Amino acid sequence: MSDSGPPRDPPGRGGDIVWSIIGTLVAGVLAWGFIGWLLDRWLGTRFLVAAGIIVGMAGAFYLIIKRYGSG
Amino acid sequence: MTAPALPLAREGFQAPGVEIFEWPDIVHLEVAGFDLSINRVVLQMFVVGLLVWGLFYFAFRKPKLVPSGLQNVMEALVEFIRNQIVLEVIGRDGLRYMPYLTTLFLFVLFGNLGGVIPPILFPLNGRIALPAVMAICSLLLFISVGISSQGLAYFKNTLFPPGIPWPVYILLTPIEFVSTFIVRPVTLAIRLLANMIAGHLILSVFFVATGYLLTSMNVSVVFGVGALVFSVALIAFELFVAGLQAYVFTILSAVYIAGALEPEH
Repeated sequence: MSDSGPPRDPPGRGGDIVWSIIGTLVAGVLAWGFIGWLLDRWLGTRFLVAAGIIVGMAGAFYLIIKRYGSG
Repeated sequence: MTAPALPLAREGFQAPGVEIFEWPDIVHLEVAGFDLSINRVVLQMFVVGLLVWGLFYFAFRKPKLVPSGLQNVMEALVEFIRNQIVLEVIGRDGLRYMPYLTTLFLFVLFGNLGGVIPPILFPLNGRIALPAVMAICSLLLFISVGISSQGLAYFKNTLFPPGIPWPVYILLTPIEFVSTFIVRPVTLAIRLLANMIAGHLILSVFFVATGYLLTSMNVSVVFGVGALVFSVALIAFELFVAGLQAYVFTILSAVYIAGALEPEH
């Protein structure tokens, strides 16, 4: 079997972007959630985990829009 | 009242759970505090490794210009990895990583196929050890590819994406770090592991239930026949998943290598 030229939109590509977006969202929540948790332990507060998760999500959205938004 | 002749029907249905992933040690071995015991899964790993080695060795031991038999099959496989994964995702620069990706694909594939091939009937990647080690290999590989192609600027390019005002880096750099060096390998391993665990559990539940229903000696036998048909269809589905997950693992490793080869833009 010989294929004449690769298809322009290979099956892997769409999936890559989806996984990359999910990965970024998860990473945002994890990274800033963890930082918030550490700050909570350090300062003895309770709300910084939640704040960190929200900040992380916002950052992840910003990153995704920056990277995939305008194309 | 059920028929007393069959103990299975009397006891009530017991669905298999996570215990079907536990295997007793065949050889107990402990070296310097590390548990190096050999159980069925370890043996299966040895067999799969030997199989992958043997396939390549015997296919290309005396390569002929006009391939036939095993050489033909293996050439088709290598060509598939080369054209559909390496050239498609990385390009010509990726041909250096062909050996890793091809071996990875075959190893994951045969590990998965164990789940549907009697008498093995256990997916090797249903235990975290192998997916985790392979994900770590892919992680170390793409980091070293990044360092060798961009030098230490690889970390700068990865952690500080260009075109963003500098105060935002405080927000984004931790996210980039976690997403590249933690979330990537973890999702790579978990995706494979979870697919194999789910597939193995579903197959086990369906076949145990089929046996239970077919031997129930009452009207449930009718449902048993339906369950049997569905179980066989599930085997076909698991075959598909085995191939798909091997493909996904390999192509994502290739994507990560491609991302490390050139800075983001």
